[in-house]
Amino acid sequence: DRQTLVAVLQFLRRSNLRESEEILRREARLLGDDLGGSVATVATSSPGVAAVAAVPPGKGEARGDCGVRPSCRREPRKVGSPCAARSLGISRCCWDTRVGAVVVEDQPDVSAVLSAYNQQGDPTLYEEYYSGLKHFIECSLDCHRAELSQLFYPLFVHMYLELVYNQHESEAKSFFDRFHGDQECYYQDDLRVLSSLTKKEHMKGNETMLDFRTSKFVLRISRDSYQLLKRHLQEKQNNQIWNIVQEHLYIDIFDGMPRSKQQIDAMVGSLAGEAKREANKAKVFFGLLKEPEFDVPLDDEDEEGENEEGKPKKKKPKKDNVGSKSKKQDPNAPPQNRIPLPELKDSDKLDKVMNMKEAARRVRLGPECLPSICFYTFLNAYQGLTAVDITDDSSMIVGGFADSTVRVWSVTPKKLRSVKTAADLSLIDKESDDVLERIMDEKTASELKILYGHSGPVYGTSFSPDRNYLLSCSEDGTVRLWSLQTFTCLVGYKGHNYPVWDTQFSPYGYYFVSGGHDRVARLWATDHYQPLRIFAGHLADVTCTRFHPNSNYIATGSADRTIRLWDVLNGNCVRIFTGHKGPIHSLAFSPNGRFLATGATDGRVLLWDIGHGLMVGELKGHTDTIYALRFSRDGEILASGSMDNTVRLWDAVKAFEDLETDDFTTATGHINLPENSQDLLLGTYMTKSTPVVHLHFTRRNLLLAAGAYSSQ
Amino acid sequence: MEAAKMASPKSAPKDAQVMAQILKDMGITEYEPRVINQMLEFAYRYVTTILEDAKIYSSHAKKSSVDADDVRLAIQCRTDQSFTSPPPRDFLLDIARQKNQTPLPLIKPYSGPRLPPDRYCLTAPNYRLKSLQKKVSSTAGRITVPRLSVGAVSSRPSTPTLGTPSAQTVSVSAKVGAPVSLAGQRFTVQIPSSQPAGKSGIPGIP
Repeated sequence: DRQTLVAVLQFLRRSNLRESEEILRREARLLGDDLGGSVATVATSSPGVAAVAAVPPGKGEARGDCGVRPSCRREPRKVGSPCAARSLGISRCCWDTRVGAVVVEDQPDVSAVLSAYNQQGDPTLYEEYYSGLKHFIECSLDCHRAELSQLFYPLFVHMYLELVYNQHESEAKSFFDRFHGDQECYYQDDLRVLSSLTKKEHMKGNETMLDFRTSKFVLRISRDSYQLLKRHLQEKQNNQIWNIVQEHLYIDIFDGMPRSKQQIDAMVGSLAGEAKREANKAKVFFGLLKEPEFDVPLDDEDEEGENEEGKPKKKKPKKDNVGSKSKKQDPNAPPQNRIPLPELKDSDKLDKVMNMKEAARRVRLGPECLPSICFYTFLNAYQGLTAVDITDDSSMIVGGFADSTVRVWSVTPKKLRSVKTAADLSLIDKESDDVLERIMDEKTASELKILYGHSGPVYGTSFSPDRNYLLSCSEDGTVRLWSLQTFTCLVGYKGHNYPVWDTQFSPYGYYFVSGGHDRVARLWATDHYQPLRIFAGHLADVTCTRFHPNSNYIATGSADRTIRLWDVLNGNCVRIFTGHKGPIHSLAFSPNGRFLATGATDGRVLLWDIGHGLMVGELKGHTDTIYALRFSRDGEILASGSMDNTVRLWDAVKAFEDLETDDFTTATGHINLPENSQDLLLGTYMTKSTPVVHLHFTRRNLLLAAGAYSSQ
Repeated sequence: MEAAKMASPKSAPKDAQVMAQILKDMGITEYEPRVINQMLEFAYRYVTTILEDAKIYSSHAKKSSVDADDVRLAIQCRTDQSFTSPPPRDFLLDIARQKNQTPLPLIKPYSGPRLPPDRYCLTAPNYRLKSLQKKVSSTAGRITVPRLSVGAVSSRPSTPTLGTPSAQTVSVSAKVGAPVSLAGQRFTVQIPSSQPAGKSGIPGIP
């Protein structure tokens, strides 16, 4: 009660009703300092919020699609106000507990979030409300039913959690038992977790569920269906459900045909519903950066030197070589200096020349010419192999293991050598021509080097493009940088305090990205001990992180079943892709930078057009989690490796070729996925019982695969 | 490892049956048989810890018996201590916004291996060797300084510094990524008689 009074005083003050406020305050005899703490929290709400509060609940449309709530979320705010901003529209005073909560409890953010569940109506009637809605939806026209059925899951979860939060355990249990079987099959995992949350205290520790509550579940519904729903719910007896819909759902309305069940099923599945249309409207520079031009001699000797061009900015006319395109700037490519990138050293230039030479000898793949697959099996790993990476020139392979070791092998006959000790180094002749070979120690050369240092299983490994460094991330919360010239650990980057699931070097080196259990991905540079960028927004762990080939964007796949594309320059989320029904474990950008392929535990590979922000393909075939995805060097073939012990090859050229991206599609996000998985599948290659953990195309388009033999 | 078979209901004790049922309810179908034992041990340890804490709180509040509030408080305190959870979303969005506002730093050209400042790297020697030579000191308490000292004798790791040059010169290599290797070197380390204030390298006069 006291809290209600405090909140009402707040409201009056903000609405500039000073006299009423004074009168009420005098009557209630409250002290000024009661309001002091709470003022700070709600003072940052925008004036628009007060306007929203004045709008009666009946005007749902204004709130539904005008995006006031999203804009409130973006302001700099203290802990309590997003919930305050959101629920001010509700007729009941939900924000009272929040204001009071900041002052009283010492976990204000948690209780603020949870108190969004203040009681809406009589708990025993929740089952009536839900079954009433269910009946209405089932009796509606076919064309609307599919769209309106999207409401079932979020409403079910939110109503259940409200009952639990308000400590109506028996009602919650009977509500759950009665309706959980009606939900779609792809939500079953979530429902199982939900069934274990039976008390209010259980909700506190579960960050993912808390995030689910504060973020609005997004539904995309056509205008006709929405009108139908609104009319029904605004009848007198259904006001409670309408309030709940207002509070927890964001309905993105589009004008056009209602979607079919199939279209909806392709796009739903994530913890936050679908993506709002404007979330995918930002311009993304998906083109590639210009490569510096070299004069590649056609004869076998390496003739470097005077014809070489260093900086890509100088466009002096040179001899055309393999792969150079027109001099005009690709409109979809980012400017060269959009993000600072390290300049090329001499060794990098040598590398590039080698790369181009190999590219000239590359096999052109296609449906008639499939790659050969060379499988590297890790024996005696006892299910401890947790991460694999191969260098770009396929000379070294690294394995991260559950016993916290990182092991590096040389794939070529050339052994791994480390730099000599300082004593020996002082003895060599520094002026000789082959000093770079002399500094290497022959006595300790071996094919395998083991790196010790982590204190937990190593979940991700990545070689740097210049093969000087190796990154590994682990359950101990650190990312370690190892030198591949001394085979020692150089730096431990601490920032995630929770298991780090994946890390990757940028294609140009120097930057790397890591993602972990704390639901954020971080961008680091090797010479900064703190991250440069933090990409926050996912509702659950970030399980997979990849750089775009132009190093300006980062894709993160998460256990909340969405993929987000982030801009390195300013940390903004520029794309949200929903559609997977399980946590995402693999991501691959196509070499031309336009498309993204993703694989998850649901066994499907989804293909996305980055420029338009749409799903363009779905590849069905695998029966278990897909842990490895890789495009061939020129993007003609997509290879996928999975826990079902197979490697599958898909025709990428055909999958991307007929894209109808007219205005209607991009406006409404309707997609019509062709059922052509069988046509696109070029081959299935089974291993005996080795799940495929990593795939890599060599520079000549030979496919290397890696996995650990598991004897069951 | 082979997929486990659940213990036959007749022979397993009731607690184990309950635990197996819990695992089944949470959707876990394949587990090794020892998982049930581990879960039971954990449950036992957790419950006894909570109840002991609750007893302490109850006696602190001068109550005659432990009641539900004490147990609730004990659970809350233990949760904050042992089972930390990642930061809440608001906080993450806030710090992300702050961090993302600073522009990306420019990259200095030609700077060798790009690593953080030395105190954040793991490249410093993390050991000290004991003195090999026992010098007879003419004055009490004065310890002679050897020819070469490596590293400041302080608790923080720092880069090796050179003292007076000796016959065996340690060259700090400028090679990419190669730390100074101390294996195979004979040298002694300065042992201060008082707390060191800074880096070493000041030779004492015997």
